[in-house]
Amino acid sequence: MKKVLIEMKNVTKDFLQGDNVIRALKPTNLVAYEGEMIGIVGPSGSGKSTFLTILGGLQKPSTGQVFLNSKPFSELSVKEKSKLRLEEIGFILQASNLIPFLTVKEQLVLYNKIMRSKVDKVWMTELFDKLGVEKLKDKYPNELSGGERQRSAIAKALYHNPNVIFADEPTASLDTNKAYEVVKLLARETKEQKKATIMVTHDERMLEFCDKVYVIVDGVLSQRVNA
Amino acid sequence: MFLAFKELKYAKQKFALIIAVVVLVSYLVYFLTSLAYGLASSYTNAVNKWESDQIIMTVDANDNLMMSFMTQTDFNNINIDGEKAKIGLFPAVIKNPQEVEDIDTRLNIYLFGIEDDGFLKPTDSNQTLTGNQVIVSDELSKNGYGIGDMIAISGSEIELEIIGFTKNATYQTAPVIYMALSTWQAYRFSTNTPPNLFSGIVVRGEIDSIESKLSSYTIDDYIFTLPGYTAQVLTFTIMIVFLIIIVAFVLGIFVYVLTIQKTSMFGVMKAQGISNGYIAGSVLIQTLLLVGIGIIIGFILTEVSVFFLSDIVPLATNVLFYIIITLAFFLFALFGGLFSVSAVLKIDPLKAIGG
Repeated sequence: MKKVLIEMKNVTKDFLQGDNVIRALKPTNLVAYEGEMIGIVGPSGSGKSTFLTILGGLQKPSTGQVFLNSKPFSELSVKEKSKLRLEEIGFILQASNLIPFLTVKEQLVLYNKIMRSKVDKVWMTELFDKLGVEKLKDKYPNELSGGERQRSAIAKALYHNPNVIFADEPTASLDTNKAYEVVKLLARETKEQKKATIMVTHDERMLEFCDKVYVIVDGVLSQRVNA
Repeated sequence: MFLAFKELKYAKQKFALIIAVVVLVSYLVYFLTSLAYGLASSYTNAVNKWESDQIIMTVDANDNLMMSFMTQTDFNNINIDGEKAKIGLFPAVIKNPQEVEDIDTRLNIYLFGIEDDGFLKPTDSNQTLTGNQVIVSDELSKNGYGIGDMIAISGSEIELEIIGFTKNATYQTAPVIYMALSTWQAYRFSTNTPPNLFSGIVVRGEIDSIESKLSSYTIDDYIFTLPGYTAQVLTFTIMIVFLIIIVAFVLGIFVYVLTIQKTSMFGVMKAQGISNGYIAGSVLIQTLLLVGIGIIIGFILTEVSVFFLSDIVPLATNVLFYIIITLAFFLFALFGGLFSVSAVLKIDPLKAIGG
């Protein structure tokens, strides 16, 4: 039996605009198992950001619940959510979430500094090898190409062994070959390390690496069957 | 600490400029403090040397010890719990009677007329004050005077012989010459049979009662009556306080701008679950690092200046003042850093995701 890592149960989100209540997210259900890579596509304004921020615990759903590794994520306090995000989620963001004044290696060490834990050198080296950034570990983000930056971001996202990976437009600034390379790596690590990965993308070509694809239009999330 | 340090290391030039501002201002502040303390000390050294509690003079003198005249009867009538000593105070201009070239002639000094067996006599010289034999401030040795040298007083027939030097003996920035009270009276009243008058009485201990024509001052109050002392101390204090506040603002603004520039980065960090506390902490630590590095350099520059300039300018080091000023720097810088902390708290991690 595969473990459920993310579960959204009847999640909705309403916004007040003047006197009108706008339902940005219609009742949404989603389950992600370990080892599963899920692609989310949708035009801008479709409710994709709302979906993502609720999934990431940055907004509270109006109704429904989000479970992260069986913990009632959406019910927690802001502080507890932050803590759980730090432990359970690895982020790979569009413009890369690397800190400009840290070398690739230091990006990973930062996690240890925050958690006051020891640097796991073996795991770090293994990750760097897998993602092909071993030679880049002492470089700063602005010395890296777009692809190298995203590979480093993946290393950073995986380093603290989160159960869930959040990838928001990870290939936005890359050419096709680099984009394929990055997404392929991400899919491989998802499988190997039994993560649940949610990847939001505009790029239809990247969906071939996903196990499931969801489309979100006008606040309605639906699975694309022919993926 | 990690983030704060790494960023300093990465953006060296940027932070070097900020630190340079802190260095310059802290140098100025420490230097002014040394100068303020040095000047204040040169006003009051000779008074503090008394190690006493109070001073008594006549009400008619209007706070001006030099214009006070007291008699032996006054002295006898004062009841105190402790010790009392007579003092005669008057300014004079001295010159070298031989006018040897290497001695600066004509110096403004103060004459302290004291009793040889009283506690006002400098403890670091054990020569007996009689006749024209005097103990002088070691400031005079910088002007070329030595033991056994004669000093002439302008407008007087009296010549004095230096029999000893004493340290920290300046009054209103001028060197002090300690002489026997009878010699002082002879100079003060320009006669060989002077009246037995003196300026005031210095008291160690408590005064029980004094006559209504006399007034008593604590030594601290007395110091504040010295002409120019209050104005000078107040001016320096205001300058120093304002400079510290200005540094806090400048630093606060710098750090605030840097923080605003990093808004999106902090947003991403928050989205990843890094706490406000950690981010705000690293902003504050960075602020304190900038101040810390800046004031250490500023302090070293000051000490170097004190070392080389203390003969020309009355600079003096007071550890207590330095500690207070250093703490004030940190406190105000922390206050400046709080702007940035509030900016960090306001950053919305929502903006980092999606869009």
